[in-house]
Amino acid sequence: MSAISSTPTVRKAAAPPTFETRMWQFMRLSGVLLIPLVWIHVALKDVIVGVHAIDLNYVQKIWAITAWRVYDMALLAFAFGHGMNGLRHVANDYFHSKSAQKIMAWAILIGWIVITAIGGIAIIGGVNMP
Amino acid sequence: MATFISTLWEGVRYRGGIGNWAYLFHRLAGLATLLFLAIHIVDTAFVFFAPSLYAHAIDIYRSTPFMFGEIALVAGVLFHGANGLKIIVFDYRPDLWSHENEKRAAIIVFAVTIILWIPAAIIMGNNLIQCNFLHLCGE
Repeated sequence: MSAISSTPTVRKAAAPPTFETRMWQFMRLSGVLLIPLVWIHVALKDVIVGVHAIDLNYVQKIWAITAWRVYDMALLAFAFGHGMNGLRHVANDYFHSKSAQKIMAWAILIGWIVITAIGGIAIIGGVNMP
Repeated sequence: MATFISTLWEGVRYRGGIGNWAYLFHRLAGLATLLFLAIHIVDTAFVFFAPSLYAHAIDIYRSTPFMFGEIALVAGVLFHGANGLKIIVFDYRPDLWSHENEKRAAIIVFAVTIILWIPAAIIMGNNLIQCNFLHLCGE
């Protein structure tokens, strides 16, 4: 009869990370990045500049600086990806049927690709002055 | 549909205190921000795809109800970020988690949200009054 060890057993999972593990990590990584990215964006556009000062000329002036296009691209990638995966997560909480979850996941994936593409093309293409 | 309604209702009815409120607001703020973001990406893309329509889109953002909505949205974005940081800290440092700390952290999150939101709301509210009620903003 051996005494029960007081040190807790540390178990390491040997299985490779699943898709959901990767998404869990992405939500946390993008979440940390989005705090400065989104808060600065909102402070600038909504509070400091204000929506009444934003027009085509303003966008053209901002996007003349490549760094701002990179910034907006990072916002698009991280914020919308974070949001759409969050939507999938919330949807799965409320609708439990496997077939419904599959349909929702595909709809969200397609919506994410289409809207990200629209935004991405606009950031690369820039302002088309009429 | 029955499971949807019961899950939705139980989430509100559950008496988890401030931690449960933080969870509900996190969800609500996240979904509201995503809805806004999807619309915002498409209307900003007008600068490339349909520049003549961009002014119409911006006019909607400048309307009084939208500006009120925007002030509320800023509160949501601040809360979602602060609460998200709380979630990340407890996820990676589970040793810090306790029933008491969860409560304390939620109070800090609500306090940080309000402290950051007040100056933003004052400036945005001032913009709203100057531009929409006193018409002092140049067109």
